[in-house]
Amino acid sequence: MHNHLKFSLPDGYNQQHLTGALADHYAIKKEQPVLMSMAIYDTFDWRLFNKSLVLYTSENKLFLRNLFKNTIIHSAAITLPPVFIWDFPDSKLKERLSTVLKMRALLKLTELYSRSTVHHILNQDEKTVARLVYEEIRSAREKNASVLETYLWVQPVKGYTKECRHLIKRLEETGFSACEKEDIYFKAIEAAGKNPDSYSSKLKIQLDPAMRSDEATKIILRYLLEIMKINEANLEKDLDTEFLHDFRVAIRRTRSALGQIKSVFPEKPTSRYKKDFSFVGQLTNQLRDLDVYLLKADAFKAMLPPVLRDDIDPLFDYLRKNRSKALQKVIRGLKSKRYRQIMQDWEAFLDEPVQDPPLACNANVSIISFARKRIYKQYRRIVKDGSRTLENTEDEKLHALRIACKKLRYLMEFFSSLFPSKKINILIAQLKTLQDNLGDFNDLCVQEEYLLNISEAPLATGQKQKKILVAIGSLIGTMDREKQIIKDAFAQTFADYASPPNKIAFSELFASKQKETVR
Amino acid sequence: MRTLAIYSNKGGVGKTATAVNLSYLAAQAGVKTLICDLDPQSSATYYFRIKPKLNYGAKGFIKGGEKINKAIKGTDYKNLDLLPADFTLRHLEPAFYKFKHPKERLKKIIKLFEAEYDLIIFDCPVTISILADNIFNASDFILVPLIPTTLSVRTYRQLLAFCRKNKYDTGKIYAFFSMVDRRKNMHNELMAMMVKEYDGVLRSLIPYLSQIERMGIDRQPVAASAPESVASKAYRNLWVKFQKTALANKSI
Repeated sequence: MHNHLKFSLPDGYNQQHLTGALADHYAIKKEQPVLMSMAIYDTFDWRLFNKSLVLYTSENKLFLRNLFKNTIIHSAAITLPPVFIWDFPDSKLKERLSTVLKMRALLKLTELYSRSTVHHILNQDEKTVARLVYEEIRSAREKNASVLETYLWVQPVKGYTKECRHLIKRLEETGFSACEKEDIYFKAIEAAGKNPDSYSSKLKIQLDPAMRSDEATKIILRYLLEIMKINEANLEKDLDTEFLHDFRVAIRRTRSALGQIKSVFPEKPTSRYKKDFSFVGQLTNQLRDLDVYLLKADAFKAMLPPVLRDDIDPLFDYLRKNRSKALQKVIRGLKSKRYRQIMQDWEAFLDEPVQDPPLACNANVSIISFARKRIYKQYRRIVKDGSRTLENTEDEKLHALRIACKKLRYLMEFFSSLFPSKKINILIAQLKTLQDNLGDFNDLCVQEEYLLNISEAPLATGQKQKKILVAIGSLIGTMDREKQIIKDAFAQTFADYASPPNKIAFSELFASKQKETVR
Repeated sequence: MRTLAIYSNKGGVGKTATAVNLSYLAAQAGVKTLICDLDPQSSATYYFRIKPKLNYGAKGFIKGGEKINKAIKGTDYKNLDLLPADFTLRHLEPAFYKFKHPKERLKKIIKLFEAEYDLIIFDCPVTISILADNIFNASDFILVPLIPTTLSVRTYRQLLAFCRKNKYDTGKIYAFFSMVDRRKNMHNELMAMMVKEYDGVLRSLIPYLSQIERMGIDRQPVAASAPESVASKAYRNLWVKFQKTALANKSI
């Protein structure tokens, strides 16, 4: 039912009322009801919803449409519902969704069952001049299951516009109203107990500028703890790699906050939890490394000359084997006494009300003053260090600069609600460009080293082992050339970042205007 | 888009019944189909309960363009539309000569539908003059219903001779047996002879059935009104055979 007019029924109206009301004016021929089911999909972090897209399957076909629209953008035949983008059949649909879904798994949100009855509106020759489809949508297959929504669709027949206009007028007079600004999607996921606001890996923290710094910091940390908890709960299911990734990012942000939002909590718990979260982070390092290399398998292969491409396969087989072991290790780690204790204590610590008088020297400072001071200081450090790095682009210096940028990024994201969103978002986007350059460089360094190390492992036997070493060698060679290209681009990227207009923007937004002392 | 003409230079052989049922079967299979009624008697139009009324007449038809598009009516069936005919189409033949390439006119007119339809089926009147030239030029395939009688076979020979003389590709002409009465020895003998003699004769036959004649009362394709009937099965078989033979490797 696409491109057709949709009406909602007047209250208390049913199919009998409908045929009754129209029988006076039209000859109607009713068809047997048609039953159809559909399942709606999205990723855990609502990637499709966030792009106003609805993906659903119905009778061995996949359909993509926009929210509030009935027009199908793309469709494709399937035998099984796909989980990952690489499971999709080659199609326009796949092309459209590959940049949206990336590595995230599709989860079934809910199923809908539709029962529609076509009513032919006939003219004197008993020719169909329009079709009225009475559609009941339920969230369960059973006929007595409660109806989520009832729609009446008017399907015009080509060449009978006058008759169709007449019919619509008649319907409107009877109390039917066209419903364009409505989508069954919302009722369906609500009935399934799901909510598109339930998860986002982005920081959506709302702070009050006048808030005490310790209180604001606890709000940030609490938010991060929730992200950890949600992802931790899904890690064992191993649906996709991003639960672990988001879990780790939340830990990294927590550690960064503990290190950078200085002296808002007493010294003792601060240093304890810094150590604790460093431990928690390490628990998952190996698994994440393996995920990264496996996700990059195709990209790595593409870097190789065609003759060597298949030779590297044993490497990925080896990594895959190791991954299932690493996953089990992570699951055990998350069930360990130490981990449980850390999380329990941490939650209790965050739940404690802030103390008066404050227990640390910056605790009582307003968060806006604190944020300005810390961000501005970090920015200036980056400009200073970066300028020095320009003279001598050693790998270590680039690495240090990357860490400093990451710290600044986290600070800006923690405190973004305190500043005009447009201005701070521009500055974050500029920082991201610099970070991408530094990040790409670092990834290649790490990957090179990883490949060098792994080449010592028994990846295959005999001739295959020799072949794979050649492939790895070639890969490292390509990476090294790539590294140099990125390094060469650093100077310009950094110059853009440290340019006078950017400096002014930073100073306008963050240079301290306060009288408060932040230590 | 592919084009198929249900054509015969002999009357009363079951052209319209074939056009109506094949277009219905194609549409049912998901092929966006337009049945184009070229016959001033407008029987196909009548079968689909559509009023035989054109606002533009033969002259308007031959001009082509948006006017024609507006005249198209949706039938009672999914994926199937019809371009109606009316009595004014009797003036079609002389009207062609007003154009520069009078024999290519129909081909040009239907170009308009390329984006919207996968298949156009022409229901043709009896003709072997300029309208026939237009039909041959506009159609990828020509399907000829053949009653297994001496006269009918004779007309078929005339048709092939006409095509060869005018350099039309006889390879796109297919025939099938229509209104067959298997109790008649002559029908059986002629069919056997035809299959032997000609390449494009499909091994599919539509029997002489009152169900098919009833279409005039039911005013719907027999494949729709009685899908399990012998007549319906015969048309389905014809459609399958046609697809397998003519469209092998060239699916619609």
